[in-house]
Amino acid sequence: MARILVTDSTLEVRLTGLDGLWALRRGLTVPLSAVRGATADPGAAAEPKGVRAPGLHLPGVAAVGTFHRDGDKTLYAVRSGRRTVVVQLDPGPETSGFARAVVEVADPRATVDAVNRALTRR
Amino acid sequence: MARPRSFDEAVVVDAAARCFTEVGYAATSVDDLVGATGLHRGSLYGAFGSKRGLFLAALARCAEPTGERALDLLLVAALELAPHDEEVRTAVERSCAALGGDASSSLGRRLLERARVRSDVPDSHHPRTRRS
Repeated sequence: MARILVTDSTLEVRLTGLDGLWALRRGLTVPLSAVRGATADPGAAAEPKGVRAPGLHLPGVAAVGTFHRDGDKTLYAVRSGRRTVVVQLDPGPETSGFARAVVEVADPRATVDAVNRALTRR
Repeated sequence: MARPRSFDEAVVVDAAARCFTEVGYAATSVDDLVGATGLHRGSLYGAFGSKRGLFLAALARCAEPTGERALDLLLVAALELAPHDEEVRTAVERSCAALGGDASSSLGRRLLERARVRSDVPDSHHPRTRRS
């Protein structure tokens, strides 16, 4: 699980509980200017994730950590996937090379609205 | 590095617009969009950023709405997104301006037509409402 926190200038994906341990990172903070949008997307959790480095992958159960696929670096923190949100980024130094974050949050709809509203305002 | 685009954006956006108008914005899943456009999920996100980004791209193509599909997309935008999304509202306003003074009747007529509601029922069929 994760929390997505939006300020006037940044977006932070904060991994909660043990997920930070499996992923070997607390999360990811990027400038809003590097965020392209957010989508509630339960199906994204079922996609092939690629090669994990580092992270935890129990196919069908959980995927937590950094995964590489088709040249895209993705931060995953998903279990059942039902409440998955996809945050698309402009990959670059500001995003530590990440192209997107695919994480489960408590309230996907509110999270997606908050991110997209912040993007409209910027 | 993302790979260069190898798809026709207009075709992808049209396929997405068909999903949005058939089932509505909220009910269209990214799985639906992946199926309809034939793109990989990663390419879809890479090109449009989000489901909303894809919807905005579709709406941008209705700047001068012609035809039922364009009016349907405008209706979906006005009903589902515009009340709480400034960017969508601006796009809807622009399209309405392009429709001219007739915008509300065009949209209203299309709404009833789409619902298969007969709007041309003569007054005599509703004697009670006429008297009130």
